[in-house]
Amino acid sequence: GAAMLRSLGSFLCLWALRLPVAPAGSGAAARGLDVASYRERVRAMFYHAYEHYLESAFPYDELRPLTCDGQDTWGSFSLTLIDALDTLLILGNVSEFQRVVNVLQEGVDFDIDVNASVFETNIRVVGGLLSAHLLSKKAGVEVEAGWPCSGPLLRMAEEAARKLLPAFQTPTGMPYGTVNLLHGVNPGETPVTCTAGIGTFIVEFATLSHLTGDPVFEDVARKALKALWKNRSDIGLVGNHIDVITAKWVAQDAGIGAGVDSYFEYLVKGAILLQDKELMSMFLEYNKAIKNYTKFDDWYLWVQMYKGTVSMPVFQSLEAYWPGLQSLIGDVDNAMRTFLNYYTVWKQFGGLPEFYNIPQGYTVDKREGYPLRPELIESAMYLYRATRDPTLLELGRDAVESIEKISKVDCGFATIKDLRDHRLDNRMESFFLAETVKYLYLLFDPDNFIHNDGSVFDVVTTPYGECVLNAGGFVFNTEAHPIDPAALHCCRKRKEEQWEVEDLMREFYSLKKTKKFTLKRTSNHGEGESPKYPEDAPSEKSGEKRNSKKNSHSLLSCPSPSFNSKLAVLGQVFLDNT
Amino acid sequence: RAKDVTMPAKLPVNFFSFFFSVIDLFRGQLDYAEHLRQDSEIVLYFFYAPWCGQSIAAREEIEHVASRLSDQVLFVAVNCWWNQGKCRKQKHFFYFPVIHLYHRSFGPIEYNFFFSAVYIEKFVRRVMTPLLFFFSRSKLLDFLSNYEPGVLGYFEFNASPQPPGYLTFFTSALHSLKKDYLGTIRFGVITDKRVAEEISLVHSGSVYLHRHVNTSLIYPNDIMNFTAENICKWALENREMLIRWLRPHGGKSLLLNNELKKGPALLIFIPYNPLAEIHPLLDEITKVALEYHNCNKSQAAEPDLQHLRDSDSPAFDSSVPDAHMKLSETFSITKYPCCNTVVLPQWHSISRTHNVCELCINQTLGVKPNKVHVPHCNFLEIEAALDSFYLQEHTFFQVISNTIECSNFLSFYSPFSYYTACCRTVNRHFLSFISSEKTIFQTPKVAFSSHGKKDNTQHSIPHIEDRNWFIPDLHISGTNITGLSCRTNKTLNLYLLDSNLFWIYAERLGASRSNHLKEFAAIVDLKEEVHYVLDQNQSLVGSALENFIKNFSILYSPLKRHLVDDPPLHFHEQHVITEVSTHTFHDTVFLSEKNVLLLYYAQWCGFCASLNHIFIQLARLLPPDNFTVARIDITRNDLPWEFMTDRLPTILFFPHQRKEQSVKFPEDFSVNLPNLLKFILRHSSLSSSEPCTKECLHKEAVLQQGHISHLEREIQKLRSEISALHQAHNQLEAQLSEARREEHRLQQQKHTLEKQHKTLQLHSEQLQATYDQKNQELLEMAEKLQELADASENLLKENTLLRILVASREGKLQSKDETKESLQSEQILSEDNDISVSTAVATLDEKRIDNIDTVETEHSSGNRTE
Repeated sequence: GAAMLRSLGSFLCLWALRLPVAPAGSGAAARGLDVASYRERVRAMFYHAYEHYLESAFPYDELRPLTCDGQDTWGSFSLTLIDALDTLLILGNVSEFQRVVNVLQEGVDFDIDVNASVFETNIRVVGGLLSAHLLSKKAGVEVEAGWPCSGPLLRMAEEAARKLLPAFQTPTGMPYGTVNLLHGVNPGETPVTCTAGIGTFIVEFATLSHLTGDPVFEDVARKALKALWKNRSDIGLVGNHIDVITAKWVAQDAGIGAGVDSYFEYLVKGAILLQDKELMSMFLEYNKAIKNYTKFDDWYLWVQMYKGTVSMPVFQSLEAYWPGLQSLIGDVDNAMRTFLNYYTVWKQFGGLPEFYNIPQGYTVDKREGYPLRPELIESAMYLYRATRDPTLLELGRDAVESIEKISKVDCGFATIKDLRDHRLDNRMESFFLAETVKYLYLLFDPDNFIHNDGSVFDVVTTPYGECVLNAGGFVFNTEAHPIDPAALHCCRKRKEEQWEVEDLMREFYSLKKTKKFTLKRTSNHGEGESPKYPEDAPSEKSGEKRNSKKNSHSLLSCPSPSFNSKLAVLGQVFLDNT
Repeated sequence: RAKDVTMPAKLPVNFFSFFFSVIDLFRGQLDYAEHLRQDSEIVLYFFYAPWCGQSIAAREEIEHVASRLSDQVLFVAVNCWWNQGKCRKQKHFFYFPVIHLYHRSFGPIEYNFFFSAVYIEKFVRRVMTPLLFFFSRSKLLDFLSNYEPGVLGYFEFNASPQPPGYLTFFTSALHSLKKDYLGTIRFGVITDKRVAEEISLVHSGSVYLHRHVNTSLIYPNDIMNFTAENICKWALENREMLIRWLRPHGGKSLLLNNELKKGPALLIFIPYNPLAEIHPLLDEITKVALEYHNCNKSQAAEPDLQHLRDSDSPAFDSSVPDAHMKLSETFSITKYPCCNTVVLPQWHSISRTHNVCELCINQTLGVKPNKVHVPHCNFLEIEAALDSFYLQEHTFFQVISNTIECSNFLSFYSPFSYYTACCRTVNRHFLSFISSEKTIFQTPKVAFSSHGKKDNTQHSIPHIEDRNWFIPDLHISGTNITGLSCRTNKTLNLYLLDSNLFWIYAERLGASRSNHLKEFAAIVDLKEEVHYVLDQNQSLVGSALENFIKNFSILYSPLKRHLVDDPPLHFHEQHVITEVSTHTFHDTVFLSEKNVLLLYYAQWCGFCASLNHIFIQLARLLPPDNFTVARIDITRNDLPWEFMTDRLPTILFFPHQRKEQSVKFPEDFSVNLPNLLKFILRHSSLSSSEPCTKECLHKEAVLQQGHISHLEREIQKLRSEISALHQAHNQLEAQLSEARREEHRLQQQKHTLEKQHKTLQLHSEQLQATYDQKNQELLEMAEKLQELADASENLLKENTLLRILVASREGKLQSKDETKESLQSEQILSEDNDISVSTAVATLDEKRIDNIDTVETEHSSGNRTE
């Protein structure tokens, strides 16, 4: 998840990049970590927090673990419960999932006079409800006949999303940061929104549009993304905060962390989910600029968005999602190198401070807290999928030990207020159960259904036709709510495609009967349809495959793993990968 | 307020569970820890943070070491995290745990490697006794023959208390442990003069660095000062690393990158116990390394080698001299026992430059003594030679010349023989004259491929080097391991890895899961992106390694690029998509009688994973009798170069009957079901326009059968769709009737509400009427009041007028006499009446009173001024 970056101090000073210290490894890698026991410890962590929330805080948004009561933080929708719902299923607790679905249907009301963050409501509430809706059949919930294109949780998600739509009514199409759920945008509302607050909708909104058939959600999300793209600086960077009325950048620090993070994340995840080349090409352009201007020694710094000069040599806890994102597009080597840098910071404090001054090697004043954020663990989970490097399990082990030792209190798990002395704060953010625990559990559970590589799947018959679902490739939104990409192809535009496929299948069986004639018809068949498969499609013979004349490859692809990657484990990194 | 509630960190508690061997200073009492150092010669400090996973994991190992060494070493654990503790205030660690060792006042020496008990113990022992003492020659030779560099000092212990320089030498040994935390340079001391002379040390206080291949060095006292740092630096700079341990510490490092970039590397994985007294396997590997680097049969290495041989266990004693006897024999092999002339067919690439070759078969009689010498070439043998020769076609690449070129190459079919080919160019017409002969050489190929297959059954993956193993001293092209490193242009760097710690690298390179010995060797060439693996069915011994190295070094290496093959963990339960691995690739794709659509993917690649459902749908649609939808995880499975792709996902289609003409799904088209079907339709094999035979009809029948079953499936699908629709219909109907009921209820509610509304309306009308009435009344009342007010005002005016009148009268009357007093009293009475009227008005309307009051006061003030 992302958070707003309120103020950015400038650290214009001469500095030298500190080389990451060489941490000593451990015998654990050799003996192999006891993954099963750590998995059970994560499960116990979840229930310790979850049960105390239900007991002491429900129906408030969050638990206050030191005073053992609840409070509303982002609205008033029992946020922790919505956020933790799919974690229950990932832990295999079907009965509790079903119970909570019923509780939410009865108890949650969005017709309330509350000022809510558009961004947070989207990623936590809309995202949580959508993923719960898509997983509900797997969880044994009695679904209605139109599922996954209709259902009570989907209707709730849609209702919540509709409450956010007024925020998008701006001249630029970029949304306000806050909206009143009952009255729309408050008069006098500030037009300054952070970049992530503008560009973090496409995953949830496109899913909603595909499932419900109402294109309005995807349209506004795309419009906002395009507005950001249009307003990037000449050197290809975006700042931190922008005025949604005038499109002037208010905070001009460019980086990959707080205030921007999930914008980049959603460009990639949107491209994957929707097979969308445009989104991917935007990301690749940004990626180039980020590498050029902000990357130093596998750290990513903050720079001035127009000049590219370093404004803050800090690493932020929120930036730790980046290696995971890189692994999704196949940049595993770079991802691992950056991850290892970040891991040294964890080893120094037992958590990641919100800001870490890289040249000084220490926390930044007023930014020493660690609210049990998930980003580094998230990256470890993605990278473990790609490399099976035991170092990543070691991070999981360290996270479990740290969180249990430092932040566990009688009533739950408390935010670490200051990593220097491990003082605790009276808060347990809802992302602890939604993300941190989920990613930890998935790291230690390689056989979880979420990691399905397509070897198992479900077939669902809907009134719109037959769908293949749960075939893996889940896309996590930025609050770790998994979305099944197959579901997006289940509801809208199904019929046209189905008829086309049916026609083609007929060709298939008549092919050999009417030989050449059929071939001609086949090639003409695609005419007028988009995308069309032309007669003279470039088809290369196997011999020419490797030295293909075309240099441009599909944007929606990953590079094959390099030879080096075989040996790039246990902290070993390689240079000059081509 | 609850919002501002915070809680300080919990107080530190014991980290070590009251373990008697370790003193646990969990409050970070660094001063006390330093105080403790006086009590023991050797102290180990374990600085930890209680929350740190690494510290927790290392705790057990430390306890283990402590239980073994507690009588000689003091183990002190210090919590260096608690912010009230001294340790945290004084030390600034970037990671935990940190181990510091002290040898008396010397220190800290940091231990910086895996926290494994044996390695820690070994290191502690090195700190305890940094110097080894040699009194006999044999022990010295043991020391010198070791693969790790050794530094020797010669000190005469007649002088008391210690010979000059000894302490410096001792400190330099400790010093080297600081820099070289694994202690690869070993330090020894010779006390006996005669032993010292063996290595040409004459003067007490001189220091010697032993080297195997290069000449050994004596510390240059005259150039460098005799200090601990200098000795250590000198030894580190000049040491000879014939074979090196690779010990990545686990953090981010470029170690492998830097070492492998130097060139091809032989990585040898062996399980290693640093505490063990003897390492026979390591000795054997050392021997190979020495031989390999022993250029020009240098004298330096010979004594060590000799010593190694002598000190070998009896089992090796017998084998090694044997091998050397064979070594001498191999030179005496009869040359070219049989030859035959071959005319190269025109299609062959060499035929462009040479067209006539003389093939000679060499057989090593020493190895197969039972084989009778054949003076004339056996037909099969020459065919085999030819076959091997064709496979080695790149042997000749010079331009056409009349000179004869010769080359040696290894047989592909028999490890017992190698061939020599001498080729030259002859005139065309001459060629045509004998061209008829060439057919002879092409026919019996089958026999040989079957021979190859027989081999396959014996070893799952045949390696050339396995076969050579049976004859360790076969000299391929005259190659000998001794000094090979200087003769070849493919020099290998040799490395050792402890498979107890780094087996994962072996697994990555293709070590089989059934390898329980955990011994493995591979040559990695980073630049060429290839690696070769020593056959894993045989044990790792010196001779096998030697052959492995030899086969790598020769010009036309028979080694085959190793393809890592990791069979998928999850098989498709529904058997829709065929999961292909390196091993099954050929069978599934080329040998199957079907059209094959192959997807290259990786689980971690987001673009691949989101296509899963499309391929499952496709596989379910296509008739399984004619089509296979397959996929290969490219992260786990290597493929021959020609089938590698550089992007993922890649979709290849291999049409039936034209498997070699694979087609790639164009990248600029989105991967969806209709596009994939069109792609397959376009390229799937079409039977040519030949007239329909019986077979063809049969095929068509099968096809139509397939169609029927497909349609049946479709119908089934439609049926279930209909039922789903019915369900949805019912659901909708239920919702509709619910809605109707609701509507009805609402209608009724509306009616009652309307009625209520009407009555309310009436009521309101009535109220309006009364309101109007009241309003009217009020208005009237107000008017009356107004009248009253006007009246009172008039009265007031009259009153004042009267007062004025009275006053004037009074003035007049003043002059008159007192006789008219009775009249004056009457006047006062009438004045009193006027005042009572004005008070009555005041009670009716206060505002008016106010007005009147002001009027009154005005009047009165006016009166006064008047």
